[in-house]
Amino acid sequence: MDWIFLTELAINGALTGLLYSLVAIGLVLIYKASSVPNLAQGGLTMLGAYVVLALSRDAGMPLWLAIPLAAVIMFGMGFGIERVALRRLAGRPVVMILMMTLGIDIFLIGTTLAIWGGTSSSMNLGISYEPLLMGDIFISRIHLVGAGVALSLFAAFMLFFRTRTGIKLRAIADDYMASWSVGISVERGVGLSWALASLVAVGAGVIWGEIQGVDQSLSILLLKGLTVAVLGGLDSILGAVIAGVIIGIIENVGAEFLDQFVGGGSRELIVAAVLILTVMIRPHGLFGRHDIERV
Amino acid sequence: MPMQEKVEAQSILSMNSVEVLYDNVMLAIKGVSVQVPKGKMIALLGSNGAGKSTTLKAISGLLKAERGRISRGEIKFNGTDITEVLAQKRVGMGICHVVEGRHVFEHLTPDENLTAAAPLGMSRSVLNVEKEKIYNYFPRLAERRNSQSGYLSGGEQQMLAIGRALVTQPSLLMLDEPSLGLAPFLVSEIFDILQKINQEEGVSVLLVEQNALAALEIVSEGYLIENGRVVMHGTAEELKSNSDIQEFYLGGGEGTDFHNVKHYSRRKRWLS
Repeated sequence: MDWIFLTELAINGALTGLLYSLVAIGLVLIYKASSVPNLAQGGLTMLGAYVVLALSRDAGMPLWLAIPLAAVIMFGMGFGIERVALRRLAGRPVVMILMMTLGIDIFLIGTTLAIWGGTSSSMNLGISYEPLLMGDIFISRIHLVGAGVALSLFAAFMLFFRTRTGIKLRAIADDYMASWSVGISVERGVGLSWALASLVAVGAGVIWGEIQGVDQSLSILLLKGLTVAVLGGLDSILGAVIAGVIIGIIENVGAEFLDQFVGGGSRELIVAAVLILTVMIRPHGLFGRHDIERV
Repeated sequence: MPMQEKVEAQSILSMNSVEVLYDNVMLAIKGVSVQVPKGKMIALLGSNGAGKSTTLKAISGLLKAERGRISRGEIKFNGTDITEVLAQKRVGMGICHVVEGRHVFEHLTPDENLTAAAPLGMSRSVLNVEKEKIYNYFPRLAERRNSQSGYLSGGEQQMLAIGRALVTQPSLLMLDEPSLGLAPFLVSEIFDILQKINQEEGVSVLLVEQNALAALEIVSEGYLIENGRVVMHGTAEELKSNSDIQEFYLGGGEGTDFHNVKHYSRRKRWLS
């Protein structure tokens, strides 16, 4: 195996990994505000893709209009989910909220099945499938665009968490009681985190919808996103980006080696191994916060 | 004007026979009435589980976070009935509650802790003025304003919790056991600063303390709460000289010796 091929595998792996980060960033946003891994992030991603599709294909809007409009709709939807499903669970055990997010995921899959059916549709972003040739290395254009989206969102959120609203969200993640005591609306903060995660889901849905078609299987992206988020540390946006790149590279390069022995399917095995090893060896991930213990 | 109304008119806070239920079954306080006169410092004294913290939570609205509710009585703040007002609205009205156990935002810096408490409408320049004022009261915080709050010492965290409450620009500051787990010299440092804040900012203070000795040095009046009821109310001097208070809360009094334990329990007659 020559080094050019290896580099190509690594670069395309890193790009794919950044697309996993797109899903992981949504998970991190909600985890930061409510300390719950949002099991509905895959469902939200799928829904984001369907909303764009409904606006562009069914309602005939151009994509430059359909995508921002879908973002607005999903932003509102995020607030709605908090208001309807999660507010009454505030202060209840985390496992109940976790089950609720799973319920939302299943609900979203069922709803999209009922409305749009189960056949895969194409997003038609109009990005060429011709690979980009850089030297001797072939790079997928849509992956490059997706990686750009992931990095821009990362930069935007790094700035956001330094604003006053962002600081209040981080405060909510630290301590509900203290937040209430100084007049921070925990409910509105959690709602905002769901709204932002739903917004991110539109980006992820558009890119992934273009790559693998829009259907219910998009919701399975949760597993990749969750693995990336856990490795990154669940509450770190930077972690989600770096872990995405790491997992993407390991998966792409590793599968190339292993597939010759096991005859395919080693991608999933590698991702599973990363998840299991992370939880066993470094439960708070690469960049996750430790619970502070003063000595 | 009848006596009761006159007291209420001069009070920033007036709490009348308030009962609190947790989970709809457990009666935590049984008809507590407390008045906080404008600009004064008042202490709620009493032993563990007497209902002091519950009283503060009823006033700040944080009961809701623990599935508690006011089942009887009313709370008036500056003459307005706030019994049904949401906790975050009460902060906007000028009530701020520094909860027990120093709940600072551990993963934020002290500076960010102060920012987090700023009302959404507060301009950046006003916030900066407020912060400087707080750092003036607590110079220790100024030194560590950019380190992680979780690693501050217990005393510094308590100062941060008080400073953070001041950002909300309260007219009534309530503190739950600020002396808990702190060395005596820190307790007196914090209490001195509280007194200074009370005098310079005109903030009324409602202080819950088990450390009655320290509390009675800085407040003008105190209430003694036992078993969810107010069992005694008087000026700090009256309370300090009361023999029961001396025996049970100030650790003084005559003959604190093992043989008299039975005698004490008989004399603690306002119990149950």
